[in-house]
Amino acid sequence: MSERKIGVYVCQCGGNISDYVDVERVREAVSGDPDVTVTRTAMFTCSDATQQEIIDDIKAQDLDGLVVASCSPKLHTFTFRGVAKRAGLNPYRYTQVNIREQDSWAHTDDHEAATEKAIRLVKAGIARTRLLEPLDPTVVETVPKALVIGAGVAGLRAAIGLADIGLGVVVIEKEAEVGGWVKEFGPMFPHERDGRDLIEQLLGEARRRENIVIFTSAELVRKAGSFGNYEVDIRTRGASNMTRRLEVGSIIVATGVDSYQPAEGEYGYGIEGVVTLPEFKRMVDSATGPLTHLGRPVRDVAYIYCVGSRQGESGPNQYCSRFCCTSAVHTSLELQGKDPTAHQYHLYRDMRTYGRYELLYDESREKGAVYLKFPADRPPEVTRAPGGKLEVAVQDQLTSQEELRLPVDLVVLVTGMVPRQNSELVARLKLPIGRDGFFNEIHPKLRPVETVVDGVAICGACQFPKTASESVTSGLAAVAWSAAMLKQGRAELDPQVATVDPELCTWCGACADTCPYAAIGQLDLGGGRLVATIDPSTCKGCGGCVPICPQHAISVLGYTGREVEAMIDSLAAEVA
Amino acid sequence: MAVLDPHFVDSVRLDDSFNASACMNCGICTAVCPLGLEHLPREIFAYVVLGMKEEVLRHQDTVFSCLLCKLCEVNCPAGVHITENVRALRHYFDSEVFQIQGGPGDAASHV
Repeated sequence: MSERKIGVYVCQCGGNISDYVDVERVREAVSGDPDVTVTRTAMFTCSDATQQEIIDDIKAQDLDGLVVASCSPKLHTFTFRGVAKRAGLNPYRYTQVNIREQDSWAHTDDHEAATEKAIRLVKAGIARTRLLEPLDPTVVETVPKALVIGAGVAGLRAAIGLADIGLGVVVIEKEAEVGGWVKEFGPMFPHERDGRDLIEQLLGEARRRENIVIFTSAELVRKAGSFGNYEVDIRTRGASNMTRRLEVGSIIVATGVDSYQPAEGEYGYGIEGVVTLPEFKRMVDSATGPLTHLGRPVRDVAYIYCVGSRQGESGPNQYCSRFCCTSAVHTSLELQGKDPTAHQYHLYRDMRTYGRYELLYDESREKGAVYLKFPADRPPEVTRAPGGKLEVAVQDQLTSQEELRLPVDLVVLVTGMVPRQNSELVARLKLPIGRDGFFNEIHPKLRPVETVVDGVAICGACQFPKTASESVTSGLAAVAWSAAMLKQGRAELDPQVATVDPELCTWCGACADTCPYAAIGQLDLGGGRLVATIDPSTCKGCGGCVPICPQHAISVLGYTGREVEAMIDSLAAEVA
Repeated sequence: MAVLDPHFVDSVRLDDSFNASACMNCGICTAVCPLGLEHLPREIFAYVVLGMKEEVLRHQDTVFSCLLCKLCEVNCPAGVHITENVRALRHYFDSEVFQIQGGPGDAASHV
């Protein structure tokens, strides 16, 4: 006697599946199941046409369960939940079965076994779906306030954007002063505005807005709660050490970067007259005419590019820092303006003054700067020459491959950006770090400022090396993302979370100890009877507490013990 | 191993129209030269801006072989004033090597 009416759709994925799995046999193998009402195969189940076909089937046959056997749930869970929703079927009565990544692609050498495995997987999906109960998303009210961590150019601009869109803003800055790197700069590309002025302007704008509060010498020391309702503790140092507890709906991380610090002896670093790009920028910004260094005139300058970037086997940094070519060229033009007769030699691997900044490179060459390309495996060598000059030995790759010796007064190491060490913040926010040490977004193109931690975004150069304008752009993206969530005032959370059966629970506390999200607390049922209780808006449904419980009192909704056991039984059953 | 002289370029430059440093070493000039001049203009001017005086002097014949036809100049993507630069270099040879006295305008006699 059939109790359920389940629709099963087996996808060919345009050959990705059907070249190795006999999808028609899979369909036939499950079509006799008394709980299965509809079975179909499709060229592309995710296509608009097939989605509509599923909707029509659900409506016409009054289906109460949906199984899609296609690709990884990472790709299309939300697609088919949407299909179910549009057809009036509870979206949590749908199961995604992965017969592509976990079957056809993995077993291209054995079509028979791949087909048999697909049948087992689909049957297991049906077994789970048979038991699925409708679930409703947890709705939480959100706090219309954002926390911005880091008051550099990205964080300050984001704070102003958030305030103007009608959200409350708390900005915390670890240093005693706001402004980050930019506050130290004189003229910046491409508009020659002083970095100091930009920060003054931003700070003035921020101060004019009543819904922005800025704490300096301040750090985040605790975060609890979940997306939309974070509870954060902010500790400020100084005359009055104090900790404030605040409620915020979202968190924007804009903690910036450090400049690469060359090792002693790296391209002559440590020799008098060998300086990094930030050191050089400060020298040029503060000069009123020709440069001097330690009392000596600087007339001939050599720049060595890619220091600390694109290190290959010689160091950990494989990435290009992007901003440094343009910054060095721009700063050399700034020097050229203050000392038109200075001789400047740019020793580069590749010039990457991308986009509009190419014009700075053109201008620099036109004004007499000399550019020399050196081979990556023959980096320039810097030594102190007799007579007080520095000597740079370099191989000229583009003219005659000749070994050249440049006598100069100053060597500028064009140093890149490196990720800032923020281990405490990383631990508190559980920020994802990429292999290069920078914070990771979910998707570089489509979700460029969101992290896998709900309600926590990243922007500015803590994500990867950026110019000031790129940092601000991403800061404003984080503003739009915050507003899109918090301006609704409410958020829907996935209901597939853990629940406790109070009849079975004896409160041993093991689950609370193991929960990585601090979602489990204690509930007094009266009469001294204590049980565990799980906050559905904090729980992520990871299931880590389920096997810990000695009383089997915890289930994850949508993956209950019964449902998972039914899947295992089905997988283990003989294929007819 | 050549030691470079940062000030050599200043002795070749007649005025601000000299812009050999604008070259980005693409090599189109070498490819289109109807005389197939091997070292003009890219390499010789690299020697000039780098301050490799000996190399420049060694290529005197090349400097005076150029027809100033401007085929390289009209094809130069970096806007290098190649023929003006060649004339500046010829003027340098006139005054420094051949010891011919005269103002910058005399360079025009080599057209």
